[in-house]
Amino acid sequence: MVAYNYVFVGLLLLLAIGFALAPLALVALVAPRKKSPTKAEVYECGVRTHGETWVRFRVQYYIYAIMFVVFDVETVFLYPWAAAYGSLGWFALVEMTAFLALLFAGLAYAWAKGVLRWA
Amino acid sequence: MARFLFLAIAALGLLAALGTVLARDLVRAGLHLVAFFFCVACLFVVLEAEFLAAAQVLIYIGAVAILLMFGIMLTRNAAGGEADLSGGWRVPAILAGLAVFAALAFGINNTVSPAGAGPWARVVERPALEPADAAWKAERSRAIDDMPRVVGEQFMTRYALAFELAGLLLTAALVGAVALAREDEAADSVAEPEPGAEARPPVATSPRPSTTTAP
Amino acid sequence: MDVGTALIAQSHRVDLSLSTAIVWALWLFVGFAGVFPGIVAYMVWLERKVAARFQDRIGPNRVGPFGLLQPIADAIKLIIKESIVPRPADGLIHLIAPVLVLVSAFLSLAVVPFAVGLAPIDPPSGLVYLIAVSSVGPLGIFLAGWSSRNKYSLLGAMRAVAQLVSYEIPQVLSTIPVALWAGSLSLVTIFDHQATFGWNAFNPPGFLAFVIFLIAGAAEVNRTPFDIPEAESEIIAGYHTEYSGMRFGLFFLAEYLSVFVVGCVATVLFLGGGAPLPFSAFPRNLIDGSLGGLVAANAILLTVFLLKVLLFIFVMFWVRATLPRMRIDRLMNFAWKYLVPLCLLNILLAAAWFEVVVRPGRVVASRWATGMIVLGMLTAGAVQLVFRVNRRLAAAAPIDADWPTVGSRAARAGR
Repeated sequence: MVAYNYVFVGLLLLLAIGFALAPLALVALVAPRKKSPTKAEVYECGVRTHGETWVRFRVQYYIYAIMFVVFDVETVFLYPWAAAYGSLGWFALVEMTAFLALLFAGLAYAWAKGVLRWA
Repeated sequence: MARFLFLAIAALGLLAALGTVLARDLVRAGLHLVAFFFCVACLFVVLEAEFLAAAQVLIYIGAVAILLMFGIMLTRNAAGGEADLSGGWRVPAILAGLAVFAALAFGINNTVSPAGAGPWARVVERPALEPADAAWKAERSRAIDDMPRVVGEQFMTRYALAFELAGLLLTAALVGAVALAREDEAADSVAEPEPGAEARPPVATSPRPSTTTAP
Repeated sequence: MDVGTALIAQSHRVDLSLSTAIVWALWLFVGFAGVFPGIVAYMVWLERKVAARFQDRIGPNRVGPFGLLQPIADAIKLIIKESIVPRPADGLIHLIAPVLVLVSAFLSLAVVPFAVGLAPIDPPSGLVYLIAVSSVGPLGIFLAGWSSRNKYSLLGAMRAVAQLVSYEIPQVLSTIPVALWAGSLSLVTIFDHQATFGWNAFNPPGFLAFVIFLIAGAAEVNRTPFDIPEAESEIIAGYHTEYSGMRFGLFFLAEYLSVFVVGCVATVLFLGGGAPLPFSAFPRNLIDGSLGGLVAANAILLTVFLLKVLLFIFVMFWVRATLPRMRIDRLMNFAWKYLVPLCLLNILLAAAWFEVVVRPGRVVASRWATGMIVLGMLTAGAVQLVFRVNRRLAAAAPIDADWPTVGSRAARAGR
């Protein structure tokens, strides 16, 4: 069965987690642990940390994330199209061109409105 | 075996969903949501729809979770309010959740299957996973063995209109976000006091959000 | 093309038999727990040696001959160091974040076909699987920065994620032509396809896709000139400022593992996997059903594969030793205004190449030559178009105008 491939993925997932946690467990056994209030401070170049860490980030970040989601969804449409293209022909090309043109229009709009500028 | 797997994954998914609702911290709630998305991907694998599983991970864990986190980082006001969910919204939230649940239960129970069979609510016996019909079986096995290609063919032929509409929807989402962001930027720059006036407080506590951010 | 199925049939379907279990156990415990981490450890050694040579130094030479035991010494050092977690940090997430990054790097190796029959698994949508699991990494990086409660970490993480998600799009889009030509998302099929039609990098749209993939790949693994996420001179070390000892080691391991993964994926997708010659089925025709033939062919394939990956890795080290860091605004511009439009155009060019060359089912010399000439001109035209439009627009907006100035008319006139 095709789905059995993912049994391997599951095993690999467990192995990878184990591979990451094993040295950490070893560290817990071997490494020294000397707590001190100064050491547990946040390291900001030796200057005592000031105020809240969680500052409000610029909206640009969100725009990039939105564009990322949009184009990511697009790629999920593109992959099956690419796989099926050989058995579909010109109609599929026209459809995909329209689809890409739509998305490019979105990108161009963002571009024209200047939100792609990291200032 | 499949039933056991389903039950295990569904139970984990429910736990993750509960965690999403009950977590006090927004980022942790988002992380529980990611775990829930992962459970859904596992369910897709159990259903032998591995393309959907990969797409689920790609879009929901890879992209939507990032969007969510960026959204959380964005919404927090610089003055330093509570990041936790406030209690005042709990009752409306529960009502909304119940309403969605009722709508879904009603919808699922009364859906007429594409084959024209009666609503699920009236089905006494669980339909067979693999009907005896040979042609149907062959079709199903082709779809499982070469899922991306079959999905692509369906997109380009049967669901061509839906496909283009999806493109339109994506573009609309992008345009909407850009328009909103520009409004936000404009509001920010209007509200901004004159530069230099508040240069004294350290960077992170400065009340001017647009300057406390990334260079 | 079906020679590969002679002895070890790599198929989408697997059954849970004893032989599968043995093969999987070998992959897991020899490959993923032994060979791959070993390769990664020696990549670090190699990078230090290469970087040293570029800077006219000798590099590690104290621990063992040529410093060959250096990775082991490093591992011991990381293990016996104290793991310091800052007091305000979110302990659990601080622990999960590096694990998530490492798991994402590990999982993406599962679909790489190293030679004929030598891929751990071959699901029909292998390419989407690959992209999907590697897209989990940015989430881990964000969580690392967020859980540290350090302004530099959070800032570094936000910048890192913004960069990673921006370059993920061109990286993904540049693999679409490859899938289109092979008519499948399975990496094994893509590998087989190139035995018949030549390496994917050796045709115009494929070459463009290859270059974009390399650039975006370098950005995805935070290599210079795209190492803004960990710009140590600006934001200490970005998202892993608050990671010490082995927890930092996990990030380090994940980063080098991803460099290895990018090299492997680029080799499989664009350079014909382990094939030593671009337009020949050479080592595969040794596979005649006998064990000796298979072993010989796979030995050649595997050696050449690793050499190609080594070449990629070396180029990345070379670039790191040569180029300075890019500024973040230029970096984001380059992804969204140059690479993404180019990728979208390239998909249409790839469809044209498919119609001209791949559609007949075998390489026809006349069609191939036509395709090379026509699509070569079209591809060059597309690149010119994108760059020209960008320059014109950038000249109108003063903030962008300094990129790219090399060779542009505006710059020459302005100086």
